[in-house]
Amino acid sequence: MKSPSLLSRKIYVTCTLFVTALLSLFAGISAAKEADLSGATGGISLEVFSRLSPIEINTIHSWEIVLSDANGPISGATLEIVGGMPEHNHGMPTQPQITEELAPGRYLLEGVRFHMPGLWRMTASISTTKTQGRPPSVVVIDFTL
Amino acid sequence: MAPTPISSLSQSPRLSRFSKIGFALGVIALVGALGWNYFSVPSSAQWSDEERRLIASLSLDQLPPVPADPSNAKADDPSAAELGHALYFDTRLSTTGTVACATCHKPELMFTDGLKLAVGTSIGDRHTPSLVGLSYSPWFYWDGRKDSQWAQALAPLEAKHEHATTRSDLALLIKSDANYASLYEAAFGSLPKFEIPAKASPLGDDSERAAWQSLSDEEQQSISIIFANIGKALAAYQRKLLPGRARFDNYAERMLRDESAKVSQGDLLSPAELQGLRLFIGKAMCVTCHNGPLFTNHEFHNTGVLANPGELPSMARYDGIRTARLDPFNCLGEFSDADNAECTELRFARDTNDLVGAHKTPTLRNVDLTAPYMHGGQIADLAAVMRHYNEAPTSMLSHNEAKPLGLRPPELRALEAFMHTLTAPLATDPRWLKAP
Repeated sequence: MKSPSLLSRKIYVTCTLFVTALLSLFAGISAAKEADLSGATGGISLEVFSRLSPIEINTIHSWEIVLSDANGPISGATLEIVGGMPEHNHGMPTQPQITEELAPGRYLLEGVRFHMPGLWRMTASISTTKTQGRPPSVVVIDFTL
Repeated sequence: MAPTPISSLSQSPRLSRFSKIGFALGVIALVGALGWNYFSVPSSAQWSDEERRLIASLSLDQLPPVPADPSNAKADDPSAAELGHALYFDTRLSTTGTVACATCHKPELMFTDGLKLAVGTSIGDRHTPSLVGLSYSPWFYWDGRKDSQWAQALAPLEAKHEHATTRSDLALLIKSDANYASLYEAAFGSLPKFEIPAKASPLGDDSERAAWQSLSDEEQQSISIIFANIGKALAAYQRKLLPGRARFDNYAERMLRDESAKVSQGDLLSPAELQGLRLFIGKAMCVTCHNGPLFTNHEFHNTGVLANPGELPSMARYDGIRTARLDPFNCLGEFSDADNAECTELRFARDTNDLVGAHKTPTLRNVDLTAPYMHGGQIADLAAVMRHYNEAPTSMLSHNEAKPLGLRPPELRALEAFMHTLTAPLATDPRWLKAP
């Protein structure tokens, strides 16, 4: 038979793990809204928070795009976003553009509209103050509408 | 010589072999031809999850309220709608006194005219599109050269082959007709006091332009404001023209309620119509452009529709977006009620080379009542439309986005049958469908 001290330790560890899991679950729920889309390249992470969520076809809307790396938000970056349908070999009906940096590393992309159901590919070319003079970092995000 | 008895023919082994092979080949060819033209392959009795999702997305139940138009502060103003209603049917809005908006956009034909090309004061070069549900579109005209319904409504009034009137004559009519003046002032405020001259417009012939030039800047501005407000009233009226619930919508509602996703749902749609629906959202790829509850993405596509004989192929949306940007009545212009930030469609519109020859996707609701079809009325009936998309001919300008479908005749007939399930009386108070 196991010693009572070992048993109580096991119960203690199990309870602690359970409580920790529960807390982290609640923390996850209470944290900021999850990104609608995301991608990464060479240590740069890109997250899309659509102001129309879920994203749907035939409605023009804006995206907030968050850029970050290991050091935190990437401010002062130049972002070019091009969208299209690789299976149909055509682009978006609009030419979305970054019009504002809302907060450090948080950019406003205006003029987003999709006009067909199916697979869409967004390609973001990112130039940061650190990567000046080098080709931009490219993040490709595929999603289906 | 005596005729050869039939029995002796059948006894000839050589002839017999040939005739048997020939007969067999003939039967195979006949069965093949009949099968190709008339035999439908039975399809699954269940809708897949993806098919259910697409059917739901097309249902009228998914249609949101008419979107706001920030460029028209009176879009939902009752007096503006009453004024627009009266103006819509008034032939005094033309030089000849014979042309109203309703001359080409006839309520009894789902706001089309049944003609290949529109006929106002003379024949035009475009087929009259339906106005039903058009308030949901961010772009107007087959080539998208207008970015609001009110700005669109202005152009035919001064176009020589349509109403051929002038903005000063229109302003005079509003001032001189007591009912119009009263509705106008209720919606838009006081009319100007100065004496408005007849036949003056910056877009008219020499004498009309000269009359316009003789006005002060303030007088020109006052007349153009009345002109713009006439467009805003006509748009407020057109926002009432909404599609009604069709057999397809009843089918979609019942099928989506049924967890088993059975294809057959009583007698709401026939087997051919159901096969057509399956093709529409699947193999025929119609739903890529004819999507959403209005069966249109309000966008511009080159589908290889040839220009009418004797006409150069149109640059279409490639020119249309450039014209829209220069339009003094666009969302960013001085007559618009929108903040510049609200003009997202105009500010972020694409203008690339692939828009050469791209015309606007029309709604398919009530499509069986709006023949002929395409921007120049080039295609006479629905059967011919189906054949056009099945063949996907080479475009005269740029490239045809559509690809040949390889559908068999029974499949084309099924697609056509499905089109008839989208017909329904408008969801509009009948009083708006006739002159007040």
